[in-house]
Amino acid sequence: MTALRALLRKELLVLFGSPMAYVALTLVVLVTGLIFFDHLRLYNQTLFLFASSNMGGFESDTVPDYINLRDTVFFPVMETLGITLIGLIPLVTMRVFAEERARGTDELLVTTALTPAQIVLAKFAVTYLFVTIMMLASFVYPAMAIIEGGIGAQHLASVFVGLSLHAIALASIGLACSAYTSNQLVAAVAGWAVGFVLWDFSWLSSFSFVGERSIAFLDAISLHLRYGSFAEGIVNLGHLVYFVALAALAAAIARFSFDWRRVAG
Amino acid sequence: MNEPADAAAGKRGGVAIEAQGLTRRFGPHVALDGLDLRIAPGEAFGLLGANGAGKTTFIRLVTGFLLPSAGTVTVDGMTAAADPAGVSARIGFVAETTRLYPELRVGTFLRFAGGARGLSGSRLEAQIDAGVARFQLESSLNRPLGHLSKGLQQRVNLAQAFLHDPPLLIVDEPTSGLDPLQQEEVRSVLRGLRGERTLILCTHDLGEARELTERVAVLSRGKLVACGPTREVLSGADPLALFRGENASAA
Repeated sequence: MTALRALLRKELLVLFGSPMAYVALTLVVLVTGLIFFDHLRLYNQTLFLFASSNMGGFESDTVPDYINLRDTVFFPVMETLGITLIGLIPLVTMRVFAEERARGTDELLVTTALTPAQIVLAKFAVTYLFVTIMMLASFVYPAMAIIEGGIGAQHLASVFVGLSLHAIALASIGLACSAYTSNQLVAAVAGWAVGFVLWDFSWLSSFSFVGERSIAFLDAISLHLRYGSFAEGIVNLGHLVYFVALAALAAAIARFSFDWRRVAG
Repeated sequence: MNEPADAAAGKRGGVAIEAQGLTRRFGPHVALDGLDLRIAPGEAFGLLGANGAGKTTFIRLVTGFLLPSAGTVTVDGMTAAADPAGVSARIGFVAETTRLYPELRVGTFLRFAGGARGLSGSRLEAQIDAGVARFQLESSLNRPLGHLSKGLQQRVNLAQAFLHDPPLLIVDEPTSGLDPLQQEEVRSVLRGLRGERTLILCTHDLGEARELTERVAVLSRGKLVACGPTREVLSGADPLALFRGENASAA
């Protein structure tokens, strides 16, 4: 436990001691803000058009029900945020293992009392913490849309859990990719590729050679379906298990990289 | 001169490191080919060879960073595969200078290195104080590693390897990339270690090997081409012939 504590502390110091952490946090807040305010602008314009198209001027009862903060701002923001995170999270995870390999400090780690499982655990835990902080920062705007849109605290909690789990799933994928290379760019590109492929498989249904069973299976493993469910305020045990299983699988893959390196060199 | 690789170890009694038929392949490339070697406790042992001779591969097999393709290597009778904790407790490893965390301060790094080896509380602080005093790092404790000269970085590297007081110190190319003053600085530290604990010095610098080791093994293309007392092995007309893989009689 002493060794694990020491590594956790080192990981936190290295992460928050580098400007990358603050650049990533700022980037997330900026991008989320841009997405939110862009949708809010569109909502206001639509509202204005509907209201002003009526001879009576600005009368709120002339606006159709589907033009509301929830459907016009919140859901599109969450959808765009989900895709944006696929692009952003690998930028955070790419250095975690790859940098140790590039610097050669992984050799130092292996000659300490730390086991590969502890190294993976510490790196995953610190990355999850950072990603959760990122999500807290990026959640301010969607939360405003929910509160102003009249959605309750339970829904708010569900959305935050979904957003965090989605980010953690992407971080897990990124970490597993980072564990197999010493090149941070390769780690980032691999993280993006796996993230985008896992996001949504519905486009495959347009191909006749893909069977219904295959589509059902691919839908079951897609991130979009799970994430969308949380955004609608549905906390399903199956979805929670999906995210936990994905994180566990990624951690196991990262752990295996140590054995693989000992054999392959 | 080309004495059996285990003769000196036998004379001293006990074995710190023993390799038997140690082989490591990377695909079709054989980095280490059936190495038999014994290093006695307390011995200052040099591992010589040109770049790519298999020195670093041997060290990585000893520390458990790599697994052998065939054969075994033991540290005090333990293999890194079967007892990684036991092996790591006995080894202090000093890699090349760049293998540190440039963003960490010296004190923070030493605290991490000690903690990662299971030290905590007053013992950790005492070991850090001892290391800082021994390697004269008092004035650098609060400086980030990335701001230190390479010579100072290497002293930090040595200090971290001593924190858990290991009986075996493995030093890989300790003066690589250092200027002559820094090289002398590091060599004087290593000179002070002779006889104190087992030292394995991995180098391609013959002068360094002559100065710091009692016995050397020369590797060429993964094979042991000479092993014996340093003065004898390196006293020939052309010691570099060994690096080229020519047999011991060439030297």
